[in-house]
Amino acid sequence: MDYGMTLALLGAGLAALLAGIGSAIGIGIAGRSAAGVLSEKPERYGPLFVMVVLPGTQGFYGFLGAFMVMLKLNIFGGGLSEGLGTVLGLSVLAACLPVGIAGLFSAIHQGKVCAAGILMAAKRPEMAFKAGVVYAVMVEMYAILGLLVTLFLLLFAIKWPAVAAVAGA
Amino acid sequence: MNALGQQAEIDFSRYPAIGGDDWEYAFETAQVRAIETVMLPRPVFVDMANAADFEQAADHLRSGEYAAGAGASISELERVLLACRSEVRQQFAGWIHNDAIVTLFKSRDDFANLRLAIRRAVTKKTIGADYSSDGNFPGEQFAEVFDSERYEMLPDYMADAAERAIVLYYNDKDIRAIDYAIDAAQAEFNLATAEKLGSEFLLGLFRIQADLANIRTMLRLTITQAHQRNVFLPGGYVERDQLVRGLDAGGDGLAALFFATPYFEMVQAGAAYAASEKSFLKIEQQCDEYLNGYLRTTIAITAGPQPIIAYLLAKENEIRTVRLVLTAKKNHLNPKLILDRIS
Repeated sequence: MDYGMTLALLGAGLAALLAGIGSAIGIGIAGRSAAGVLSEKPERYGPLFVMVVLPGTQGFYGFLGAFMVMLKLNIFGGGLSEGLGTVLGLSVLAACLPVGIAGLFSAIHQGKVCAAGILMAAKRPEMAFKAGVVYAVMVEMYAILGLLVTLFLLLFAIKWPAVAAVAGA
Repeated sequence: MNALGQQAEIDFSRYPAIGGDDWEYAFETAQVRAIETVMLPRPVFVDMANAADFEQAADHLRSGEYAAGAGASISELERVLLACRSEVRQQFAGWIHNDAIVTLFKSRDDFANLRLAIRRAVTKKTIGADYSSDGNFPGEQFAEVFDSERYEMLPDYMADAAERAIVLYYNDKDIRAIDYAIDAAQAEFNLATAEKLGSEFLLGLFRIQADLANIRTMLRLTITQAHQRNVFLPGGYVERDQLVRGLDAGGDGLAALFFATPYFEMVQAGAAYAASEKSFLKIEQQCDEYLNGYLRTTIAITAGPQPIIAYLLAKENEIRTVRLVLTAKKNHLNPKLILDRIS
């Protein structure tokens, strides 16, 4: 039995799901910290907003990886002309894991870094960008690397079958 | 073995560990960090201490939360300070998710109220109802408890402390025995609760507080050449035997006994000042400084109860310092003495 398509879709799902969970937790952490500071210093909304949304980028990276798989599987255009095959399906699943797992952990830790930056911005607003945002971006880099690995694997390492001919074309 | 049964080891160079983050407290910690920024900085206290008189010293508080209006008397300012302290404690109770921690910190007022009630009871004075309302046990019920000797009405930790204090007092009719018994019962209750909560920070805090109280007691007994030996609190990092050796060593050899502890500089400075000035101002100041230093280490915690507890204690210390400076100015004390005392 050919589980190729199932495995590939599982990979796409995991990429979006894991990175999305990470982002939700990360934003949750940073958001609660920001809300605490804003309850006393509402004028700090601007600099804190950047730090709250930063952990959300991983969710987009996961979505991008999943979307790339869906494009390659021609989900929106009638599917593939032949079965994907179990081995190819596993390859797609494996290719999706870097963005999913890197996104999950980096978003949570980025949320914590952002929360620390938010607390610092409460006392020293001039350091909000220099330390808070810059340190958070350093964590971001590893999510970007995960996304790049996923994209390179999907684009260059997998030999995708031809797309199905559209009826009437 | 529990925190009291086992001698705590000094496995740190300056301050004990404070535990890790608890992300349930992200909002509350951030709120505390924002509020901390409006606490009075040291220069305000220095200016107050150097002010020409009480009125000028009080003027420095006019724009802040301790403002009591122009020409306010010290009793009016005291009311403002007490109101601020109650407000901070209510805020603290709202921030902390664990009721046991709130009860623990409220118990400080219970022990203080109990001390006063027992003193009144054994000296046959009216028990009254003028007690702090920030505790867990309502002060107006003390009269009923002591008049009918129904100590079971008190929470367990207070009933135990009351029994020990009364027994100890009637042993030799020494009023100070009440303080020793209640202080010891409070230290034991604090440590037992901190251990039950599994809080590394609270264990460290209460052990430090026990050590600082013991060091102050040791220095006082040494300088006044008193002979009590069973007055040290249990549960600190410094062994009781070492404190007794300190009493025997006297002023000059005192600091050397603490060379291997984080309290060395404090004891050295406090003992030298006490010997030269015949005053305990320096040891009091150094103890406050050390405790504040421990509380400041909570800056490393992004979310957790530690910064919130540290804020409560720092705020209470600020209120105490304002009261201290204002009282000193009211009594025309030398600014140098005030500056020597404030941390």
